[in-house]
Amino acid sequence: MKWLCVLVTIVAGSIGDLLSAGGMSRLGEQRSFHSAGVAGNLRYIFTHPAVLAGIAANAVSFVSFIGLLSVSELSFAVPVTALGYILRTVLAKVFLGELVNWKRWAGVVLVALGVLLISV
Amino acid sequence: MRHRHLVQTDHYILPVSRLRNRTTIVFIVITNSVGNLLLALGTRHLPAFDPTALLSYFGVALVNGWILGGVAVLAVSMYAQLAMFTWSDLSYVVPMTASGYILTAVLGQVFLNEAVSVVRWAGIGLISVGVLLVAETGPRTVHEADGPAR
Repeated sequence: MKWLCVLVTIVAGSIGDLLSAGGMSRLGEQRSFHSAGVAGNLRYIFTHPAVLAGIAANAVSFVSFIGLLSVSELSFAVPVTALGYILRTVLAKVFLGELVNWKRWAGVVLVALGVLLISV
Repeated sequence: MRHRHLVQTDHYILPVSRLRNRTTIVFIVITNSVGNLLLALGTRHLPAFDPTALLSYFGVALVNGWILGGVAVLAVSMYAQLAMFTWSDLSYVVPMTASGYILTAVLGQVFLNEAVSVVRWAGIGLISVGVLLVAETGPRTVHEADGPAR
């Protein structure tokens, strides 16, 4: 049960972010936080299949994380799910073609290690 | 032919864009922390989590004011993150939003007088260095007109 929750939390969350990021990046740069811009973005978000699937996958991940918290300690749940940072970076490189240079690899590994340390 | 830019470094981004980038990250991080705090406060009024009765658990949760407020704030945070994906890489946004852990630790130290151990400070230091490294790469490595590569 514990490890199933870990797996679902990490994998569903990473795939969710991959789908959302892939779908949103097709829209092109939208920096406006004025009402018209926000309305346009929301229309895009709620009609784009990949973005919607991404949100659904993140919801599954969220419920699974709540379940993980109920069967394990926070000091286990937080660092173990930090592995999701690494998986998201790998998926972004492979499926979105993002250029992950040494600074990004080093940065994301340091972040994951840091999350491990603050949880012990 | 798919054309890719070299990895853009932050020095070449206009200062205004850089400021907006940082502001959006800070906004995502703060709304995320506040939303989680509201959820945590709300769960105190809920029965113990029962995976076999998920629907009734969420039925009770969704009429709780704290939880509703937390969900609303988290929805705003999620919107900001989705908007940021239109101009930023996933491999940039994800580690940058980890700066939230630094905020949580500092807030706990300042407002709750939580003792922060040497190991935790080391963790905060590692996260900070990691975030600074990723910040230097700039938000976008895929040429926008091409859309994401598959």
